[in-house]
Amino acid sequence: MRQAGIYSAILPGGVSGKAGPHSFPLARIKKIMKKSGDDVKMISGEAPIVLSKACELFVEEITRKAWMMTMQGKRRILHKEDVASAVIATDIYDFLVNMVSDDHSANSEHEGLSTTPAAIMDLER
Amino acid sequence: MVDNTKEGEALNKYYNTSGAGSGFGEDEGVIKEQDRLVPIANVGRIMKQILPPNAKISKEAKETMQECASEFISFVTGEASDKCQKEKRKTVNGDDICWALGSLGFDEYAEPLRRYLNRFRELEGERANQNKTGNKRDGGARELVVDM
Repeated sequence: MRQAGIYSAILPGGVSGKAGPHSFPLARIKKIMKKSGDDVKMISGEAPIVLSKACELFVEEITRKAWMMTMQGKRRILHKEDVASAVIATDIYDFLVNMVSDDHSANSEHEGLSTTPAAIMDLER
Repeated sequence: MVDNTKEGEALNKYYNTSGAGSGFGEDEGVIKEQDRLVPIANVGRIMKQILPPNAKISKEAKETMQECASEFISFVTGEASDKCQKEKRKTVNGDDICWALGSLGFDEYAEPLRRYLNRFRELEGERANQNKTGNKRDGGARELVVDM
């Protein structure tokens, strides 16, 4: 983890360095929430706050897993492929499978994805 | 995510907004593509904090993560919204989000976030009390943390 600088605790944003109190702008989260479906009508004020934190944990977790892939390849630069590998390797990230394999259409990796629900939905579209 | 544009796929930057509270873009009928994603700066910052100091992150990796994070929000919201519909409730609240996280397999997050939510509600309650007594001292000094 990144070491906190000596001024981190007293500068606005504290140790994490973020400007607002939350990891992501709440208005943006709310916008994304509203677009997620027609039936999303009203959103309580606390929902984006919880989601912002959840999203932060989510990004942290994928990043950790992706970095493990980077290290396996003996590299120090985290690439998109590392993120893709982390997604493919984790069941609960199945909803992201399409997103990371879009550019890999010629890749043999696709064969292994044909039975996942996300991939099936894509084929049916 | 569904794109409701009438002008066709090529113009997917343009969006007919009929919903309330969309902000500035609504006047011109234009929603920038970026508005459907969380800001890449925030994503990059979180990633950087997790990695060792000498690690680097490619721009593409950040962009991919940006997409994934945004999709995560939609995904969880959809699940929470379904629950509200079934229970005939109109408002998606923090508890629904916590429930959705558990339901979708993010069990590790559900409990800590419930505690986070309860702490948030506590702080809000305290702040409301302060306002009632006319003492508008900033309650921002108290921190909201997640213990995992």
